[in-house]
Amino acid sequence: MSDQKNTFSSSRRQLLKGLGLVSIFPAISACAATGTSKASAGRVVVIGGGFGGATAAKYIKRGNPAIDVTLVEPNKTFYTCPFSNLVLAGERQLDSIGHNYDELQQVYGVKVVHALAQDIDPVAKRVSLSDGQTLQYDKLLLSPGIDMRWNAIEGYDEAAAELAPHAWKAGPQTLILRQQLEAMEDGDTFIMSVPGNPFRCPPGPYERASLVAHYLKQHKPRSKILILDGKDNFSKQGLFTAGWQAHYGDMIEWVSLSNDGRVVRVDAARKEVETEFGTRHQGAALNIIPPQKAGFIADRAGVTDQSGWVPVNPVTFESTQVKDIYVVGDATVAAPMPKSGFAANAQGKVAASAIVASFAGITPLDPVWANTCYSLINPDYGISVADVYRVQDNQIISVEGAGGLSAADASDNIRRSEAAYAVGWYNAISQDTWGTKL
Amino acid sequence: MIRSILPHKHTLHKLLLVTFFAGASTFSHAEEISSAQVKLIAGTCANCHGTDGKLAGAIPAIAGRPSTVLEAQLLAYKQGLQPNTTVMDRIAKGFSDAELSALADYFANINKD
Repeated sequence: MSDQKNTFSSSRRQLLKGLGLVSIFPAISACAATGTSKASAGRVVVIGGGFGGATAAKYIKRGNPAIDVTLVEPNKTFYTCPFSNLVLAGERQLDSIGHNYDELQQVYGVKVVHALAQDIDPVAKRVSLSDGQTLQYDKLLLSPGIDMRWNAIEGYDEAAAELAPHAWKAGPQTLILRQQLEAMEDGDTFIMSVPGNPFRCPPGPYERASLVAHYLKQHKPRSKILILDGKDNFSKQGLFTAGWQAHYGDMIEWVSLSNDGRVVRVDAARKEVETEFGTRHQGAALNIIPPQKAGFIADRAGVTDQSGWVPVNPVTFESTQVKDIYVVGDATVAAPMPKSGFAANAQGKVAASAIVASFAGITPLDPVWANTCYSLINPDYGISVADVYRVQDNQIISVEGAGGLSAADASDNIRRSEAAYAVGWYNAISQDTWGTKL
Repeated sequence: MIRSILPHKHTLHKLLLVTFFAGASTFSHAEEISSAQVKLIAGTCANCHGTDGKLAGAIPAIAGRPSTVLEAQLLAYKQGLQPNTTVMDRIAKGFSDAELSALADYFANINKD
């Protein structure tokens, strides 16, 4: 590596790193690296500018500014899935959940390339981009998010998603579904199809049903919401069910897997679905959240297993299959951590720390992660599930005695506080990830 | 001679070592937790309190608040002694007293501006 040319700064950095102190004195290592030349401490390419990738890029730079970090993300604005249900409900505009990469570039010195990563050669350590560029890396960090398993449900492909949106990646899909909700007549039915585990954002479909109900209650109060589910229980089920009862009466009907909830066929043009045992349902608005897998670039890198997801070393989030490729976020197998933006951000920090340590030749630190998933029953009624995670016997575990759900018997004041904290959380994690806040 | 005035390279390293250990021990009550480790743990706070705990909003900023206040608050959350808590009681229980103490010191030492 190039910094070996500078023996004094290199040895001084090694000393500091040996003490495990380098990351709290980034300025010192920056001086060491830039004192005589623009020597790089290593090259990292980050693919994916969502919660995991943007956080990792920023925190690698915070850990050691001498590391050269390039973030590859096709979109100039990233729209978050968190709070996109408020856009569906007409409570927010799409712009308010869009984030850019200005601070990562201007404050942290991350190079941002707006292109699609198309292929990875893990032997040559090279990434090919849609704009013809190739990027060389010492360490690669993938935060590829999810891809839909098109045709896992018969008739549900990319073309069908234009008519019956998944809206499980925020942006244009969110707006298509919003338009369908707006076009509903009073008394019409909104149908959601929800997949079995694992999938992105376990409580997300139920928050969506809640906030759509909030919209319908005000504008189309005779309408119904039908949730057809590929499983028999779901995240925060008791809290959701109680909240629905209190606020929406019988507007929301949930059909479990055992009660023939699993959708097997979609006719997007007719907004009709068919379930496992042949029941057909037709709605005025149709939201199909299909089964998912790791984003395709993970496949190209050879880090996915037969499940379609990415197994990782829990201490570092390095792939167990390909050396020097780290993977964070929804694409990974990290249970009991959920596939959430919060978890992706937390994993991004742990992987960033492990990459900084690896370049320094020191042992990675003991990881710890937290996760808090807020869901809104309506804009003034919030519920949450929280957990703290550590590694024990090379497995991620949820720390015993910590975490859990909002109290079932919480007062209206507590529900209101949690709704306000959901907004506080959104602003904070957006600031921590992209540097943008609302 | 200049050579005799300048400390030998190894001596310099020892001096640096002493300086940094001294720094570390005033930095944290919990000597068994390294500063780098505390910084990694503190990353879990930023998701709701902003980078370096500096973002003030519905959720308060924690940077630059007195260490004793932060530590007492965290321990009260952990012990379930803080009324009307929503989530911090659930989160604080995931950390040892020594970690909470080190986190309190860490955020107290961050300039809130």
